[in-house]
Amino acid sequence: MNQKAHPFGSPDPQEEELDAEIRSIRAQISTLAHRKRILTTSLLSSPKIKTLLQNQTSTTTTTTLTTLKEDLSPLVTAAGAHTTTNHHRIAFGATAFPFKDPAPNSPDPNLLGIRIDVCARDGRFAKPYYVLLRQERGRRNGQQQQRGNGNGKRLCVHRHTIPAFISVDRLAGVYLPLPSSSSSRHEEDGSGSSGSESESESGPMKPGQARSTRRKQDLRGFVRELRRELVAWHLRSDAVVFLREKLGLIRDSESETDANANEDEEEQPWGEKKSPPRNDLGIIGLEATAVEARYVRMEWEDGRLGRFKLSNAGLVERAVFMNDRGRDKKVEDAVTGGGGEGGVAF
Amino acid sequence: MARSRTVRAPTTASLPNSLRIPSTTPSLSKTLGKLSRPALLDLAISWLEDRNVESFPPYLQPSDTNNHDNEETLPYPAAETLAEVREAYIDLRDRKGGKQEIIERILEGDWRHGITLRQLAMADLRYMDDRPASLRWTAMELVRLNDDATSKSKSIRDAIAIASEDWSANIPRIQAASFVKSLHAEIAPLVKAHYHLSRSSTLPLTFLRIFIIDSPYQTPRHQPEIFTDATRIIYIAFPDSCPYFYTSSITTSNASDSNSRSGSLATDPRTLQRLVREAIPKALSRPHQRFTLKPTALAAKNLQTLLTLRGPGRSTSSNGAFSIFADAALEGSPLDPRPSNTVLAEEHMRGRESISSMHDDKENHTHDHDNASKSARPANKKRPSGSGTAAMPDGALSPDSKKRRLAVESRFGTVGCSVTPAPLDRLDIRLLDTPGAEEDANANTDRNAANLAPAVSLTFTGSDVIGGIRKLAELGVVDPERMPSWMTGEDAVSTAFVRGGTRLHVDRG
Repeated sequence: MNQKAHPFGSPDPQEEELDAEIRSIRAQISTLAHRKRILTTSLLSSPKIKTLLQNQTSTTTTTTLTTLKEDLSPLVTAAGAHTTTNHHRIAFGATAFPFKDPAPNSPDPNLLGIRIDVCARDGRFAKPYYVLLRQERGRRNGQQQQRGNGNGKRLCVHRHTIPAFISVDRLAGVYLPLPSSSSSRHEEDGSGSSGSESESESGPMKPGQARSTRRKQDLRGFVRELRRELVAWHLRSDAVVFLREKLGLIRDSESETDANANEDEEEQPWGEKKSPPRNDLGIIGLEATAVEARYVRMEWEDGRLGRFKLSNAGLVERAVFMNDRGRDKKVEDAVTGGGGEGGVAF
Repeated sequence: MARSRTVRAPTTASLPNSLRIPSTTPSLSKTLGKLSRPALLDLAISWLEDRNVESFPPYLQPSDTNNHDNEETLPYPAAETLAEVREAYIDLRDRKGGKQEIIERILEGDWRHGITLRQLAMADLRYMDDRPASLRWTAMELVRLNDDATSKSKSIRDAIAIASEDWSANIPRIQAASFVKSLHAEIAPLVKAHYHLSRSSTLPLTFLRIFIIDSPYQTPRHQPEIFTDATRIIYIAFPDSCPYFYTSSITTSNASDSNSRSGSLATDPRTLQRLVREAIPKALSRPHQRFTLKPTALAAKNLQTLLTLRGPGRSTSSNGAFSIFADAALEGSPLDPRPSNTVLAEEHMRGRESISSMHDDKENHTHDHDNASKSARPANKKRPSGSGTAAMPDGALSPDSKKRRLAVESRFGTVGCSVTPAPLDRLDIRLLDTPGAEEDANANTDRNAANLAPAVSLTFTGSDVIGGIRKLAELGVVDPERMPSWMTGEDAVSTAFVRGGTRLHVDRG
């Protein structure tokens, strides 16, 4: 009886159908409105329209057109500026912008923001990565006199959205060194993760104060390395996805971890059967071991296992493959040899 | 497998997975009783999976049926085959009923000969998956030690050359089995432990459950109750790809209980826990790659909070006002032709996913937010909550409240409506400002004076402290423009020492 109560308890099927219809129509409306906005803005920023508008206004000045121009010109300017920004972001990948820290007690509220855009394999851009740099004047410390010979501005990382496995602190320690006098001040202000920076930067700076003042901050180098690391990460994870696609492993990613295959119980959860490989190589598993996609784990149908390390250049740096008798040197050589073309090529 | 009473020698081996706790132990049914009925069934079914069933097989009918009469008297007759047992739990899953019958069936029927330590560990971790806020977690950071004396004399160029090999080498690579082995090597001389590693089913975390006991024997002669003693269990959660890990903290009441019970300092669970915690960085270290622990001043009940604030993602070092960057709520993709100031922040955050009902829900959204954070109001002792009457109804925004809303948005960013919510359940603030003193003038000298001056401590508790402060700012109780940044959760800590509105690191020692 209990089971039977369900259909009666639910609302009228006709009503439900109408509800679903309304929902789908609403969704359609919103997608269409979205599309309309995209189209209007792209129309405004298209060069043809722009030149057309300019030509129109320069040749004829009828009343209707001037009002049209007055209506349109702020929109066109905004769209044009936005397009230029986007072009820069696409072409250079790293752009800078000013940002004002809203905190009232912040000693230097004017921050330098750096935005890094990385294009992924499917032609889409990942969420932009941001680094916000703070100007360090070091005015509250006694050692500021020696700053007089250098340039007065020192930058240090304030906030960032770089994933944790890329050590921004160590990067900053190398490329944006602070004089050791102000490093303690920096550590006070940074979040908890900034502790390792002072350690790594104090290493090469210990020998003498003179050296640390000579070291120049290299913002370009910092951004270049950071972006290289981000791009390499995206390329690595894209390569893993690409290989999984090629090997037909995209869909059965859940069942491949189960090691015990049992023949006679197929639907039961006890002996999760490994799905047969969709490739003729017998590879049933290929996945990155962690988010950073530095190590990739492979598994064959016959129990062979392998793991290889991807370098930032996209090559297989090291590989270990095991079969029943131990290390499988042949496969290892095939994967690592020849610039990695046996394994992964970007 | 059975507990052997004959040979008892002290060893340093870990407690075996197959160590059985008698099913008659009353606390076992209590432990299992914490789980819901579907969770219990899932657990029993996973116990019967092929890869697990060998380590703790259910009680089956012995082939010689001499003592068959004995069996008849029991409420749950033993099954003959494994398939039969599986069938029984599948049947139970398909029909309705209480969870007590399942607990009884497990303890008095299929596992009447005892529940193994591994089964107990699986039950505990299943409970954690269901109730992620059941424990309080402390985030710790693993910092690579630069103890290599030669590195200090290296030239800068060398430093760059070494460092540029791998900027992502700050994370210890954990191979679970070998980590447990080296952790065991670290703590085995001190305590005896049982280890259980498991991957969380809901969060990107790997749990390590360590049960510790202060006996050198393989089959300890403790009361069986001790195996379910929550103070002897440490959970360590390793998030993916980041130099942090989280350890469970003991609740003080339990600890004081066990203190009075055991008395001796060496057997205090707290000491045992500290031993384990200190062994972790040593177990993760390798030659030329030493790690040490660093507290991160963050403890929270919700694992999701820790993952957001001390995790692998974007939001680890941009919170509060900077959460707009973590959520990418400021600007869209460079392929988006719409100028970014014409697009709602929520739309940026959701990206290219469904954009349904995004357009006219400014009001709806704020209403939702109000409802969500109404329960999350912190216990603010200074001001009675009646001062919220100053707020305008959302429909008609006066220019004043509109300005306030903008200020709140600029201070709090996407806190409270973020895609990765991070509710803090407790926020401890200690104000070190000397009353009436100009803090900026002589920060160094009055550090000593601060010891003498009265210090003000603020403690906020609630289900979402930062969300509650945001709500107060929206209502006009807190001035969003003048409030210091620790109130916006920008520092992402739960304990902070504050001077002049900025957070100090006093734990540097």
